[in-house]
Amino acid sequence: MIIRFLLVAIAAGLLSGVLMTGAQELKVTPLILHAEQYENGGETDHGAVVPRSGVSQLAKVFNPISPALAHGGEEEASGILFGLDRFGGTLMANLVTGAGFGLILLAASLLTGMEITARNGVLWGAAGWLAFQFFPAIGLPPELPGFPAADLIERQSWWLATVVFSAVGLYFLVLREAAWAKALGVVLLAAPHLYGAPQPTDIASDVPALLGAEFAVAALATTAFFWVVLGLLLGGAMDRYGRA
Amino acid sequence: MAVQSISSVVALSGTQRMTIALSALLLGVFLVYGAGLANSAVLHDTAHDTRHSYGFPCH
Repeated sequence: MIIRFLLVAIAAGLLSGVLMTGAQELKVTPLILHAEQYENGGETDHGAVVPRSGVSQLAKVFNPISPALAHGGEEEASGILFGLDRFGGTLMANLVTGAGFGLILLAASLLTGMEITARNGVLWGAAGWLAFQFFPAIGLPPELPGFPAADLIERQSWWLATVVFSAVGLYFLVLREAAWAKALGVVLLAAPHLYGAPQPTDIASDVPALLGAEFAVAALATTAFFWVVLGLLLGGAMDRYGRA
Repeated sequence: MAVQSISSVVALSGTQRMTIALSALLLGVFLVYGAGLANSAVLHDTAHDTRHSYGFPCH
């Protein structure tokens, strides 16, 4: 029983991941490759992660700064799993991400008691896009390699908190009727942005701003496609295979 | 979006529903964390373009 529901979500996610990989090739991936031509091998910005005390000590064990992260030599120095090429790695990551988001979307529909169907799948997908893509992008726009950025741990923490606040905020705003709930939803949606996303101190970059602007829009548009497809596929699959 | 009563979700008992929901949530978060956020060089390199595409904070 449990397995069947999980498999439905995973299958919808995997298929969405495959379609996402195709969609990425249209604009997002070419822009990443283009930006990497401007990226210095020196990696000034990427080295800016300074391990701090407390929780960061734990993160230090999994320190993201490694020779493999030096983008200048990424193709030869990278450690892509299973010896895959770059496209293979991206496809695999999209499959894993798709399955993960599919499971999270299923969990959201079960926790809220609002069943996901083919009819409301677009709305569920839109909610996922708002929580995971749009609201975090207000503070941390999708960035190209070589763009200046603040401390990684701080950005990831803010990103995670914003996703959680946005998801819970959307629940109160959209699915609850009471006025206090709607007000609470708005507060939760706004809170991470009133607190403010971590910003880099030096915003100079070798990557042209035009590429960054194109990329931010392309990334949001491509993920909107992914989430709508995921919502529709999961809704359709639950209609068909999700009956208890 | 009205709550639909003839549904798989409602047909499940509360415990079953919560079990499935929490299993899905845990597994989903684990997968998304691994692909999008984990501070591992190999995972980062494999998922690099995916992380940028989804706007995950990256390097």
